[in-house]
Amino acid sequence: MNDFGTPVRFPLRWRTGEEGPPFAEVNWTSVDHFSQLLTSDRQAVGRFFDGPEVLCFDRKILSEDILEEFNILTEPPHLMKGWYVEADRAKNKTIRDLLSFYDAVKPHIGLVKTFDSPDAENCRGLIHGEIGERWLPLSLNGLKNYTFYNELQQGVPGFFLFRGGALYRILKFEEKTASEYSNLVLKRLPDDRYPEVYLRSVHLSEKPAA
Amino acid sequence: MTDTLRSICDQCTYLKNPRLDFIPAELGRCREILLRDLQELVVAATANNEKSVVILAGIILEGILYAFVSAQTDYIAGRRGSFEFNPDHSLQNYLNIFNRWLNDLMPAVTLPDLIVSYRDLVHMNQELKRPPGTCASAAREMLRILDTFLEALSEFPIPT
Repeated sequence: MNDFGTPVRFPLRWRTGEEGPPFAEVNWTSVDHFSQLLTSDRQAVGRFFDGPEVLCFDRKILSEDILEEFNILTEPPHLMKGWYVEADRAKNKTIRDLLSFYDAVKPHIGLVKTFDSPDAENCRGLIHGEIGERWLPLSLNGLKNYTFYNELQQGVPGFFLFRGGALYRILKFEEKTASEYSNLVLKRLPDDRYPEVYLRSVHLSEKPAA
Repeated sequence: MTDTLRSICDQCTYLKNPRLDFIPAELGRCREILLRDLQELVVAATANNEKSVVILAGIILEGILYAFVSAQTDYIAGRRGSFEFNPDHSLQNYLNIFNRWLNDLMPAVTLPDLIVSYRDLVHMNQELKRPPGTCASAAREMLRILDTFLEALSEFPIPT
């Protein structure tokens, strides 16, 4: 549709089953139309940006510009998205080879760095998974379901490959209590217990032999 | 040495001895279907049949979510104002409902959106899009996720 529909009156006490006043006025239109107005006629949608609060959303049907304009957070700042690459699969492959395999696949994991060494050789971070369409930190229990965690415990450390080509070898996981990490994630973990992954950079020219 | 499906299955106590008391009596047929599928899953895992495990585990996760969301309709309605269970929803829908409204009841459970992608490996085009070996790791992860979920559900209060 290329216009706004007739506004609908919605009872504010709908939770109690009351259908009387007070009412909220619901304005509605299509995602395409709203996106178009954002670029072509911003004045027409200006009234929706007076202290907006997002109550619910479906990311799959919303366009990037709407997500951005309403500041709908589905991932924490500085999240790197990527994939787990098993040691066997990385053998004798360049990072370019690996990217050609994985780039078309939806990212499997996310990483928010908590530490980067000055020489950029080592880093630590919090592993994230996409849960309910939001990128959230994984607890230690959550990590235990993943192949990368179990293979590391069995002495077969693999790699994390990130969009753009950063490749890291997984060294270890260590759970720690760190309330300051709650500022880095969208959802705080119980008791501020965060499993931190330790990673070592694999260089672009290097073949990541297992 | 990477775990085999058989060795993982051997460690999955709740997969082999599921307690589905969380399913209300009126969903008796749902419980029977889940028990049958769980038995088939254990057989497939014991035989190291990766693809069968991925598909069956996906079906079972969808079935469990179907039953659990259905059984928790009043709880969800209490939290969000109203809620009507839709028996025709997809795995993704049930998963979203669980993660949005029910995960607080069992915080030890992590059900990533990834399980939908794994279950979709039933389609040839989906498996072809992924790197070789995806099915093998998906099977392992699905078994572990399902067992953790069943463990949490086994401790869930029996509906009255």
